[in-house]
Amino acid sequence: MSKEEILNKLSEAVVAGKPNLAEEGAKEALAQKVDPLEAINAGLVKGMSIVGDKYAARQVYLPQVLMSAKTMYSGLDLLLPAIPKAAMADVKRCATAVVEGDVHDIGKNIVKTMLTAGGFVVIDMGKDVPIQKIVDDAKSEKLDALALSTLMTPTMDGMKAALDGLIESGYRKNVKVCIGGAPTSPEFAKEIGADHRDANAQECVAWLKEVF
Amino acid sequence: MTEMSHIDRVMAALTNEPGDRLPVYPIACGVNRRFVNGGISYRDWAHDPKLYAQAFIEGQKVFDYDFAIGLMDLSVMAGDLGAHVRMDEQNTPFVDQHIVNSVEDYEKFEVPDITKGRSAVLLEGTKLYCDALKNQVITSGFIEGPLLALSQSAGAERLFMDMFTNPSAVHRALKVMTDYDIEMVKGFAKTGCAGLCWDYLWGNYSCLGDAEYEEFEGCKKYAIGLNELTIKEGMAVAIHNCADLPHLDTQIKKFAPAIYSMAYYPLIPGSPSASSVIEGGYTDKTLVGGQVDPQLFIRAPAEKVTQVVKDLCQEVKTALCKRGLNSPKYCIASGCEVPPDTHTKTENIKAFVDAGKQYGKMNA
Repeated sequence: MSKEEILNKLSEAVVAGKPNLAEEGAKEALAQKVDPLEAINAGLVKGMSIVGDKYAARQVYLPQVLMSAKTMYSGLDLLLPAIPKAAMADVKRCATAVVEGDVHDIGKNIVKTMLTAGGFVVIDMGKDVPIQKIVDDAKSEKLDALALSTLMTPTMDGMKAALDGLIESGYRKNVKVCIGGAPTSPEFAKEIGADHRDANAQECVAWLKEVF
Repeated sequence: MTEMSHIDRVMAALTNEPGDRLPVYPIACGVNRRFVNGGISYRDWAHDPKLYAQAFIEGQKVFDYDFAIGLMDLSVMAGDLGAHVRMDEQNTPFVDQHIVNSVEDYEKFEVPDITKGRSAVLLEGTKLYCDALKNQVITSGFIEGPLLALSQSAGAERLFMDMFTNPSAVHRALKVMTDYDIEMVKGFAKTGCAGLCWDYLWGNYSCLGDAEYEEFEGCKKYAIGLNELTIKEGMAVAIHNCADLPHLDTQIKKFAPAIYSMAYYPLIPGSPSASSVIEGGYTDKTLVGGQVDPQLFIRAPAEKVTQVVKDLCQEVKTALCKRGLNSPKYCIASGCEVPPDTHTKTENIKAFVDAGKQYGKMNA
């Protein structure tokens, strides 16, 4: 199988939402000594970008997007460990989290997927994340960016608490903070001192790429 | 026109007759517990039918709404199906441990005994507030649709992927959810509520396309059949969908509910505003309710709430007039529930209702 065929296989696996094909493609890439970073970018990420565009155009919906994301991660699990550490040195580190008290994490997971596809190293803190953990991990993980999400009104104040905590810890100046979720707004982002409010995952990635 | 009673006003809107003003209903449910015994916890409210009912009765006394609709929370069915529900003192309860961890788990669902658990609290509480308020306002129960009940039990992300990879397993579980809903509809019919409000949240283009929604909820064996049963059992069908891009053609034109409650997200392209909903003909046969941002009840001063409601009344009345509708076919409502937490400003609920009464007059 040629390099071109392997890259196409990875891309098509993601578009079709077939994790086993992505695993096969990733193994073939490694066996054929294809640069793992190229396999990711020209294969898996290319496929995820196609799916992202189709989702934005309402040609596919959440079930397909989630399967494509799962497929991308199946390939990434095999390819990421093969990348030399030096090649990752300049890659920006971003974390995603749904704040404490909220367990709605589909939006956050789409953001995680798109950030990964956008070339960020993503640390997913998960859902219902205690504010102190967000503050502590931002520092210990040396984050460049933090994407916070909530879908519920009562938990929005957790976003402000996280930002206040980052200021108190002295790490705020090192990290860009964006927020998302239906009840949030640009005004709320400004009110709590966040750097940006993202309307969707694509906007989050575009904004962070612009910032960095 | 002379001032109408709450019931006459809503009935005028439902039957395309002229009315004195637009109906007003901030979806104030859990927040009303603050008027019971000086304020009770969400846990107590959601576990005791008398306290549950008393909140709606007290809320009606304080705010003088046009409806009483009994939303408890969206984890009632999942909890009774076996999922673990986290009950914070003052926060909306939510499922924190789903019960589908493999495809085989979809086979394990069974319809619970609705005379026990929070299903029973919901039904008994609904009967109590309906008995107390039925001569004052239009009353309605509130129930989760089958796809919502399953997503709350299985986890939405897992469910969506399984729709794609294991649709037959999902359908088997949806059959159980529908059977559970059928039992609940029959239970609600005994409470005396005039309507039953279905939460069909996943009819939403951010999540599902027409084909997926049709297959997994919008068809005869699920939502359409349940809507028909609701009517057969003597209740009007209402639908609540606070998602950003609701399937209006399916959920209003095809399902033809008496009432449809929806939200508006101005920052999301394509999210339908009140005037666009009216212009699109969705209020021709259905009383649509919306779309004030629930955030205002926490974050805005009362003056801002008044202004927002005033602007919405003007937008709605202008659009109704352009559409040639002289019936008050739009209810001034919040797009989703008034946040039930303790930071909600009750003076903003009053400002909302008062502004709706003042600026919603049809001849003003």
